[in-house]
Amino acid sequence: MKRLLIVVAACIISLTWTIIPAMAADPILVGVPSSLTAIEGKEALKAVEMAVEEINAKGGVKVGDVKRPIKIESIDIRDSSPGVPVQEALLGIEKIITEKKVSAILVGPFRSEALLPAMDLFAQYKVPMLGTIAMSPKSEEKVKQDPEKYKYCFRVCLNAKYLVGYLAQTLGFLNEEFGLKKFYAMHQDVEWARLTAGGTTKVATDKFKCESVGTEVYPTGASDFSAGLVKAKTQGAQIILPIFDMPQSGILLKQWQSMKIPALVSGFISPMTGPGAWKTFDGKIGGLLNCNYELGSGIASDKYPPSMKFYNDYKKKFGVPVESGHGPGPSYDSVYILAEAIERAGSLDPDKVVAEIKKTDRQGAIGRIKFDEGGQVIYGDDPTKTATGCVFQWTDDGKQKIVFPASLAEGKVKLPDWIKAGKK
Amino acid sequence: MLEVTLIYGFVNSIILALIALGFSLTFGISGVSNFAYGAMYVLAGYTVWIFINKLSIPFVPAAILAVLLTAALGAVLYRFVLLRVRGLVISEVIATFGVGLAILEMFRYLGYTGFEYTLPVFTDGSVMIGDTYIDHQRLWIVGVGIALAAGLYVFTHHTRLGLAFRGIAQDERTALSLGINSDRIAGISVAFGSGLAAVAAILILPRGTISVNEGYDVLINAMAVCIIGGLGSTVGVVVASFLIGYAQMLTDVLSGPHWKMIVSLVAILIILVVKPSGLFGKQKELEERI
Repeated sequence: MKRLLIVVAACIISLTWTIIPAMAADPILVGVPSSLTAIEGKEALKAVEMAVEEINAKGGVKVGDVKRPIKIESIDIRDSSPGVPVQEALLGIEKIITEKKVSAILVGPFRSEALLPAMDLFAQYKVPMLGTIAMSPKSEEKVKQDPEKYKYCFRVCLNAKYLVGYLAQTLGFLNEEFGLKKFYAMHQDVEWARLTAGGTTKVATDKFKCESVGTEVYPTGASDFSAGLVKAKTQGAQIILPIFDMPQSGILLKQWQSMKIPALVSGFISPMTGPGAWKTFDGKIGGLLNCNYELGSGIASDKYPPSMKFYNDYKKKFGVPVESGHGPGPSYDSVYILAEAIERAGSLDPDKVVAEIKKTDRQGAIGRIKFDEGGQVIYGDDPTKTATGCVFQWTDDGKQKIVFPASLAEGKVKLPDWIKAGKK
Repeated sequence: MLEVTLIYGFVNSIILALIALGFSLTFGISGVSNFAYGAMYVLAGYTVWIFINKLSIPFVPAAILAVLLTAALGAVLYRFVLLRVRGLVISEVIATFGVGLAILEMFRYLGYTGFEYTLPVFTDGSVMIGDTYIDHQRLWIVGVGIALAAGLYVFTHHTRLGLAFRGIAQDERTALSLGINSDRIAGISVAFGSGLAAVAAILILPRGTISVNEGYDVLINAMAVCIIGGLGSTVGVVVASFLIGYAQMLTDVLSGPHWKMIVSLVAILIILVVKPSGLFGKQKELEERI
C-alpha cells in the first residue's frame, strides 16, 4: 500500500513538474482582429479558440526549451459592416498590436479594403499575419512587389483568383452538360466580389464559351433583388451568377423562387453554405449550386478525413455545426501553422517566424497547405496535394451534395424540374 | 419590363408609406421627431424572431406581443426621456437618436448579425399579374398597408382619441383649454407611432433579413417621405411614398440598385430648395425662416 502511494505521489509530482512550467511560462499572445459579429468572423474566432485549446492541452508551444501556452486577444474591427470607415478598422488593428503586444495576427481584416492598408501596419510593427477571410489578390501582388517589406502577410484561405477558377469551371460545365450558356451576374459592391465577378465573366466567356447577358451591382446591405432578377429574365439568362457575402443576400433565393425566374442559380451566396440554410430559408433552396471556399468550413468530405475531423470536432465542442463556408477551416489551420513555425524557429522573433511559415507543408483541415511567393496558400482540386474548396448542390431533400472537384464529387448536377436545359 | 416596374414600384411605394406612417403620426401630433423610430422597427423584428425561435411562441401571438411591447417602449421613451426635453427640438433629436443608437448597437453587441434572422411569410406562394409573378407577402403588404392608412384616417376623424390627437396637432393651447391632456396624448402618439413601426417591420421583414443597419435605412426613408410629403400630413405621406417609391424603382431598373440608395437624399435636397415645408406640409414657419 505504501509502495502504491509512493508511486502515485511520484506520478503526480512528475506530471506537475512537466505541466506547471508550461502553464507558468508567459503565454504567446495572438491577436484576432476581425469582424467578429459577422458569421465568418464569429466562427473563425471559435475555430481559433478550438485549436488553441487543443495545443494548450498538450502543454503549449515549445519556444526554445520552454513550452508556452497560447493566449488569444480579440477585437471586433467591424469592417464587414456597411458605412464603417477603414480607418476605424485600422485603429483597432493598431490597438491590438501596440497595446496587447501580440506576437502574431490570425484571421485578420474581413474586407480587402481594410487588409490592403493594414499590410503596412503589419510591416511597420513586424507582426506576422495569417489572414483567413479577406480575398483580394491585390494583397499577394503587394507582397510580390515588395517581398522584404510585406513578408509578414500570409493568406491561408481561398482568394478571389481561385474562386474565379471554381465558378468559371462550373459555368463551363453547365454549358457543356446542359447547354446553359447565358449568364447574368449579380454581385456585391466590395473589392473581392467585383474582382470575382469580373474575372469569372472573363474566363467563362473567353475559355468556356459562355455568354454574359448583364451584370447588376448591389451595395452592401441591399435586400431587394427583384429588379435585377427581372432584368435577368428579360435578357434571357439561363444562369444567375450571384456573388455575395452579406447576410441579406440569402433572400435572393426566396425572391428568385417566388418570381419563378427560369434560370439556375450558380455562384456564391454566403448564407447558403452551411447546413442551417435549409431551415432558415424554409427548404426553398433546392437546386442551388454554391461554392464552398474551404473544406471543413460549411461542408466537409469523407474523402478527405482531416476536413471531416475538424468539422465534427467543432460541432462536438460548440454544439452547432460550422455554418460559414469561409473562414473557420483555415483559421483552425492557421493556429497550427503558426505554432509549428514558432517551434521550428525556436523563437518569437518575427523575421525567424515568417521564414518558417513560408516553409509550411502540412495536411490541414482545408487540404495540403503550402504558400506561394505572394504568401497565398496554393489551391487546387485534390486536398492531398493542395488546399481545396468545392462546389455543391442543395438537393430537394436538404442535403449538400458535392459535385466538384472530381476528387470529392458525390454525384452529378441535377437541374431543378422547372429549369429547362438549353439547346446545344 | 414596364409592367414589372409598375407592379413592383407600387409595392415599393406602399412599403415606404408603411415605414413612414408611424414617424409622421408621432410628429404630426406631438411635434416630436422620433429618431429612435428605425430602432423600434428593428427591435420589433428581433423581438418576433426571439419569441418564435427562442421561446417557441407561435407567429401570431408573437407578432401581437411585439407590437404591444414596442408601443410600450415608445410610451416609456416619452415618459422618461421626451417629457423632460419636449419643445427643445435639438434635445429631442439628440435624446431619441441616442436611444435608437443604443438599441441598435445593443443588438450588434449581442451578436444578432447573422443571416438566420428572418421572419416567416404570412402565406407562401405567388400569383401572376399579367406576365409578372408577385409573392403573397407583397400582396399582404399592399393589402395591410392600404387598410392601415384608411384605418388611421377613420381613427383620427371619427374616434374620441383620434379627435384629441388632431386637436393637439392643430393647436395645443386651445386643446388644453378644452381639457385635453396634451402630455398624455403626446405620449400615446409616440407609443402609437412605435407600434406602427412594429407593424411595418412584421409585414416587411419577411421579404428580407433582419439586420441592425436596416434601422438606419428605415429612419432615412421615413424622414425622406415625411419631409417631401410635409411633416405631419397623412396625405403627404401617401403622395411622397408613391413619388419616391416609383423614383427608386425606375432608378433601380434604369441605372442599377446603387443609385437607388441616393434617391431619398436627392429628393430631400430638391424639396428643401423648392418647397421647404413639403408638398402638403403645414409647417409654414419653416418656409418663412428659410
